[in-house]
Amino acid sequence: MSAPIVTAFREGLAKGELLIQQCGQCGRPNMYPRYACPFCQSERLGWQKSTGHGRLHSFTILRAGAPAGFENDLPYALGVVKLDEGVQLLARLLPDADGTWDGYACDQVVEFAPRGPNASREYHCAWFRRARQA
Amino acid sequence: MSNAWPLRTRAGAPEDPVFIGVGELPSGRYPDRTFIGDLTAVALRALRDARMKPRDIDTILLIPNLHSFSDQADLIFSRLVEELGLAGHAKASFMVHSGGSTSDNAVRVAAGLISSGHARAVLALQCERWGSADLVEMITMLSKNGIPGEWELPSGLQFNAIGALIARRYMYASGSSAADMAAVCVALRKWAQLNPNAMYRGKPLTVEQVLASRMVADPLHAMECPMLADGAAAFIMTSAENAAHHGIEAAVRIAGSGGCVSHYSVGQESNLAVLGWPTAARRAYEQSGWGPRDAQLAQIYDSYAAVTAIALEGLGIAETGEGARWFASHCAPGGSFPCNTNGGLLSAGHTGVGGGTALLIEGVRQLLWRAEAPRQVEGCERCIVGGTGGSYMDAQVLLLERWLAGARA
Repeated sequence: MSAPIVTAFREGLAKGELLIQQCGQCGRPNMYPRYACPFCQSERLGWQKSTGHGRLHSFTILRAGAPAGFENDLPYALGVVKLDEGVQLLARLLPDADGTWDGYACDQVVEFAPRGPNASREYHCAWFRRARQA
Repeated sequence: MSNAWPLRTRAGAPEDPVFIGVGELPSGRYPDRTFIGDLTAVALRALRDARMKPRDIDTILLIPNLHSFSDQADLIFSRLVEELGLAGHAKASFMVHSGGSTSDNAVRVAAGLISSGHARAVLALQCERWGSADLVEMITMLSKNGIPGEWELPSGLQFNAIGALIARRYMYASGSSAADMAAVCVALRKWAQLNPNAMYRGKPLTVEQVLASRMVADPLHAMECPMLADGAAAFIMTSAENAAHHGIEAAVRIAGSGGCVSHYSVGQESNLAVLGWPTAARRAYEQSGWGPRDAQLAQIYDSYAAVTAIALEGLGIAETGEGARWFASHCAPGGSFPCNTNGGLLSAGHTGVGGGTALLIEGVRQLLWRAEAPRQVEGCERCIVGGTGGSYMDAQVLLLERWLAGARA
């Protein structure tokens, strides 16, 4: 059984939306979603849709030792993304068109990838990709 | 600081808590050793080192294992009390747990119990059977626990990936090269050649070998990742008064401690190249009245080279951005500031929660002047101990100093 905050966040992902928890009392955004606002302890919590823009604080490409259930994903990339809204989260990173993550670097601008990897399986986590060069 | 919190015990005070002995078994793969057998053996080694008998102990502090839930239950339900002949005598036997920083917190608990009078003498001990456990089972256990199941587990996060996220950000922020990071591992391996308990004794390592090993989680090569090991460690603490009563001349006291829990999940750490170290260090130095220049050596958690490099900088031992290069050029045997003189987790072996315990007791052993030559740091008086647990959730600092019975503050 999932908590309502988990269900709501995952339903957002399924619709191609990255939801950020927002406190109905103090108005501050909060990630990952929590059961009470960590700033004012209010339990009146809602959601806002993220712009999906942020910077990559760090990332790695796991090539061996995947946890059970992720063996077939290898190699795969994980990153910590700092969103423009001032919150951060752990996410999966899509490879570039060449199938590698060679073009990724720390502090690079990244964007939420609403459709994820188009994989047959459903991922309950956010996917990001390198932002198109302006 | 307006919120400074001084230590309530003083050097020379009768209730001042001190370390009086340590015990350790070799780390590595020892399928013929047993969990309870190792705990008994390491307890007896520590007692001999402290010139005590089991009945001099009234409190047992248990440092957990990560290999087996049922072995953990044996510990929690006081098996060691029976094994050591303390049934009907021991006042309390219980566990302290904060992952890799458990030993630092166990010291705080023991110190509080001793200085307040709730314990007379505390035996803290640990055994891990990681080296002989099923590797796939351990990898899965380590990957699926201790991260938020609702938010990070669905991404496929894993423990080497956590180390890699920290290493990547550290290398980016500091401009450290892959060779700079590998050189930290090589320096640790040199210490392991001098430690009879180290898993990698007799197996020297070069930067070239590290960089030629396969990439596991960019930027981490296989030889930059710790090897799971069997191992056991123990230490004994009591009051300065009781140590003197037992005729103990040399002991180790706690000049101060500081800590900072900076996150639970790696995805929520605001700066992976800094972590909680600057805050923890400031708190510890404020409490002790001495700083990084006053210590002769350090023992700092090193499950990955970047973890230690970041700590060296936060502790003010190395300049910001120079932690990895400084470690390689100053902290190896013969260097001006010896660090992780047992070889660290990376070369003595990663004994789970015990990795930090092994570093702690190596610091105590050095200050007791009981390390084997030529590993002993001659005449050392002060040691900085740094620990961290979970997904590097906390930075814990213990400032230890040699203390002689009869000395007064």
